[in-house]
Amino acid sequence: MNKATKNIRRRDFLKLLAGAYAYATLGSPGLAGAQTTRYGKLADTTRCIGCKRCMSACKRWNKLEVERNELVSDRETDLSAQNWVVVNLRADAKNVTQRIYEHWACQHCIQPACAGVCPVKAITKLPMGNVVINEKKCIGCRYCYQACPYKVPRFDFEKRVTRKCHLCYDRIPLLNYMKPACVEACPVEALSFGYKHEIILEAKKRIYKEKSGRYILGLKEAGGTDMLTILPTKPKDLGLVVAPQKVVNHNMDKLRITGAGFMGASVLAGLMYTYASLTRKNTKDDYGNPDKETS
Amino acid sequence: MATRTKKHLDIIFNRIERTQSFYVWVSILVAVSGLALYAILMSLIYSLEIFEFSAQVIWATMVSNYVFLVVSSTGLCIVTSLGHVFGMQRYELIGRRGVFLALITIIFGMISIGAHLGHPERAMIFNLLTPNFLSAMWWMGTLYSFYIVFIAIEYWLLARPELIERSDQAQGPEKIIYGIMAFRQLDRLKIGPVLKNHKLLQFIGAAALISGLSAHNTLGALFGHIEARPLWHGSYYPIYFLLSASFCGYALLLAVSIASYKIKKEEIPEDYQSLIFEMAQVLALLLSAGLLFTAYKMGFGLFTPEKVKPIMLFLKGPFSQAFWLFEIAIGTVLPIPILLWATKQKNIIGVLIASVMVLVGVYVMRYDFVVAAQVYPVIKNGLPSYLPAFMEVLFIGGVLGALFLTYVLGEKFLPLKEEHHH
Ligand code: SF4
Ligand code: SF4
Ligand code: SF4
Repeated sequence: MNKATKNIRRRDFLKLLAGAYAYATLGSPGLAGAQTTRYGKLADTTRCIGCKRCMSACKRWNKLEVERNELVSDRETDLSAQNWVVVNLRADAKNVTQRIYEHWACQHCIQPACAGVCPVKAITKLPMGNVVINEKKCIGCRYCYQACPYKVPRFDFEKRVTRKCHLCYDRIPLLNYMKPACVEACPVEALSFGYKHEIILEAKKRIYKEKSGRYILGLKEAGGTDMLTILPTKPKDLGLVVAPQKVVNHNMDKLRITGAGFMGASVLAGLMYTYASLTRKNTKDDYGNPDKETS
Repeated sequence: MATRTKKHLDIIFNRIERTQSFYVWVSILVAVSGLALYAILMSLIYSLEIFEFSAQVIWATMVSNYVFLVVSSTGLCIVTSLGHVFGMQRYELIGRRGVFLALITIIFGMISIGAHLGHPERAMIFNLLTPNFLSAMWWMGTLYSFYIVFIAIEYWLLARPELIERSDQAQGPEKIIYGIMAFRQLDRLKIGPVLKNHKLLQFIGAAALISGLSAHNTLGALFGHIEARPLWHGSYYPIYFLLSASFCGYALLLAVSIASYKIKKEEIPEDYQSLIFEMAQVLALLLSAGLLFTAYKMGFGLFTPEKVKPIMLFLKGPFSQAFWLFEIAIGTVLPIPILLWATKQKNIIGVLIASVMVLVGVYVMRYDFVVAAQVYPVIKNGLPSYLPAFMEVLFIGGVLGALFLTYVLGEKFLPLKEEHHH
């Protein structure tokens, strides 16, 4: 066997492996939380200095437009089709002197609500952890935006597709161990990237060392996310949008709601039938055929 | 036979007589539809953003217009099914007009949502190639596609006897055109007698009703599934949508058919008049049920912490005028006594007015339902205005104009009237 075929075999094997993980992730949520080859990103707001280098690195890597003034420090920016990551100043409602810079992007939920509602499966949760929108497939319905608890996927009115952070899946750590562009760009190591279980440990270690009151966003929110954020205090006090501490848009919930609707529809059909049978006249119809019920 | 021939001659005579006003109507409607085309063209040249009054309210008028139209279509399907599916003879009168309206409302609804999508062409391809069975939107698109097919066949079956009759009576090109529309050749085949069998119509009607109700259900579920939008989330809307489809169907059918007779200054057939008053009563009943549902929604919403804020938008906030004046007063409460009074007095105009009021209320309701839900959780301090953008209005006006134009043409050239055929 020569080298080339060996390589191909190896790639096939990796593909197979990835497929198995994809199956595990999509098919069994319990397994998905436990696997060890998934990556995670950690943002430590207590370290961030608000330089916004992550923003410009992201824009450079993903070829996004730079809007005027938005990279100026302390300027409030919103996520958009061209802004996949934003850094904003937030103050603690209970202690106004406490201010942080919040690095905010897609949270890469373990069971993403956005992927669950996309009608054409344009969004996939990769086995590595990334939640990626396939922009060649997206039909531009914006349903994912509605479903996302953090309102992350934003519609690009020019390209007519929805776009968001993909955790730099195209710098795939598996192949060349490159970190996401934003993580690479951070000058003070407020951002880190690594295996999910290590990232969780690291986050826990940091808040354990520091004084109490710190909070890790993403351990429980939206059923757990592959991006974690260390906050100095509870997210509510910082005025952040908080997702419930459970899987958002759980399939059982969807089933329940759809089921209720179908029950309603059967009741309606029953009412129609009752209305008809109570008031139907015993005659022949238009076509000269006897009525079905009366014959 | 002689009277029928005379009637037919009358219709033809009428047509010639009214040509002028007909052309005025058609040209106005064509102009209005032209505006929609202009708006679409601009969106292609510049950006889809011209259809959004705020990038944060990402579903706005086109979605609500879509919801209005497809819900009306389901409603019309429900009302007409009473006739040829559930076997209520008197409802068979409205079969053709109702089913034709159901067909064109769903088609223009689809046009409305098609223009809203970023890539409608991909929607058709990937809906087939990579379906997501967990997405209500996938189910909705798929089921409505079936529904359109069934409802189109249903109309064709309903209209066929008269199309054949017209082709028999007409001369020259008209004879050929009606003959083709009725597929007269089929009569010579084995399928001919089957097509005339009422059972087939009943079967297709039932298929349309089932696909329509299921599609409608997934439309409600599409909103109901969204946990991140407290106003939509839950099983209330899938169920309420069924009810509101029913009253919307009744109101639309009453309004359109009565207005058609009145504008053409034609006499409404005796048996249809009595059905109108029966339908008016049913409509009043459905509206009362709707009122109870709304009261339940608002009342219980106030006890659900995450729903309080969105609900207050209706009760006191920027949507309060639309809610209290349009949804509650004009759309639900006032029409009930008007309908009951009109039924008692045998006043057709009263029924017409009440039905139009219901439609206006429902239209506003759909808009509020879609837009208000998107305020929470992201738009923290509210937007200065929740009114649609100019281009949206142009587009929606154009879609409704084109819908109306299709109806006027259908009314002129296709069998829609409330008459029995033997
Ligand atoms: S944060 Fe939103 S967009 Fe990102 S994975 Fe979760 S649901 Fe999807
Ligand atoms: S906007 Fe695109 S990615 Fe989002 S749900 Fe629709 S098709 Fe899927
Ligand atoms: S992970 Fe990559 S795509 Fe996501 S915000 Fe960072 S640089 Fe941008």
